[in-house]
Amino acid sequence: MTRPDGARPDHDPTARGLRSRRVVALASTLASLAVLAVGYLVPLRWVDELPDPVATHWGTDGPDGFTSLDGIGLLAPTLVMAALVVLLGVLIAVLGTAAFARRVLAGTSVGLAALVATLQIVSLGTQRGLADARDATDAGIGVSLLVALLVGATVGLALPRDRPLPATAPVDPDAPRASLDPHERAAWVARTRGGPGLAIGALAIAGTAVVAVVLETWWLLLLPVLLGLLLAAMLEFVVRVDERGLQVCSALGVPRTLVPADEVERAGVVAVDPVRDFGGWGWRVGRGGRVGVVVRKGPGLLVERTGGRSFVVTVDDPDEGAALLNALADRARR
Amino acid sequence: MIFRIDPTAGVPLYEQLAAQVRVGISRGELTTGERLPAARDLADSLDVNVHTVLKAYQLLRDDGLVELRRGRGAVVAATATGDTAALHAAVRALADEAARLGTSPQTVISLLEEQLR
Repeated sequence: MTRPDGARPDHDPTARGLRSRRVVALASTLASLAVLAVGYLVPLRWVDELPDPVATHWGTDGPDGFTSLDGIGLLAPTLVMAALVVLLGVLIAVLGTAAFARRVLAGTSVGLAALVATLQIVSLGTQRGLADARDATDAGIGVSLLVALLVGATVGLALPRDRPLPATAPVDPDAPRASLDPHERAAWVARTRGGPGLAIGALAIAGTAVVAVVLETWWLLLLPVLLGLLLAAMLEFVVRVDERGLQVCSALGVPRTLVPADEVERAGVVAVDPVRDFGGWGWRVGRGGRVGVVVRKGPGLLVERTGGRSFVVTVDDPDEGAALLNALADRARR
Repeated sequence: MIFRIDPTAGVPLYEQLAAQVRVGISRGELTTGERLPAARDLADSLDVNVHTVLKAYQLLRDDGLVELRRGRGAVVAATATGDTAALHAAVRALADEAARLGTSPQTVISLLEEQLR
């Protein structure tokens, strides 16, 4: 494919972005399908050693749901999950303009596949040699959740970050700008904290802890601990606009991100509804693949970034920060 | 609020920073109990030494405008914000009068400094 300006597609930033989207979409979907295939095929080799029917659902007093080895019953979870990972693959290809969106969606895809696969292997593996499935001991939910979290997190963290993609066009001339003298250095610093997400997070932590204690299922305590770490990282964010661009950083230090000034196409103000736009609170991927650090409903600082990406952070008086960011983005073009 | 420094201005950088906080408070952009940026963050963003920002904050504390609290950083003091509307009106009236008479800004500032001494 040649273009009038002679640029090869590999050197065209937009084409490069599209390609990395497709590569991640295809690779993560294939990986998830492979994991699902392993989760289905491995127990299939044990058919001669398994009771028929096998236990497929556990209550508090042991197995309470059974499925015949004949028919489609055993394949159903794999098929449902396969449909879901294909859907996630399509979402990555369509919405995965930002590396963060690709990492979250791909991690979710492979993590969910690993959850189903491990559940099948562990729950059926423990039934090998049993005459009656009612003697099955454990569904292996704990180990499966742990494997799923580890696999999902590893996939998300292993995927590459956004590569530098400086803008080639000037900043939107109609965007508001703070006045800056040529010798002046300027910075805008704000904090964003609180919001309903914290109360809901605290409730979830308390709830899972109570369930773990009541059921005396001690591995479940891992859940409130992980949720607690997550919540601590989402308590407060420092938002900074300076010569480098827009930085958002958890008060804990991680997670953090930088939108470089030379990648800013336009900064502005937007009304954010975390539930409607992002499906909840925290550091999220929302509608259209937009990445957001959203802790409450109200005004947010929106940055339109090269490569069709956009980023929003809920913060008070975002107009000042947006105006400074546009002015500094102008400066970064020179 | 936006913090600005001009290294070519001939005024010490910490004075420039302190002056902006004073203006921010008197304009009501900074309100009682509001936390100023962590000195480390602001120094990093403005590419100055952290002691420059700390010196500005100490200056403001000595003026009773902010309180420095361990773990909370610099917080705008309750005594710092008051009803400054009358002062603003007087300053505006001064500027209008100077403009009417064609007095240069330097002369007005000199007169003010004389008066405040």
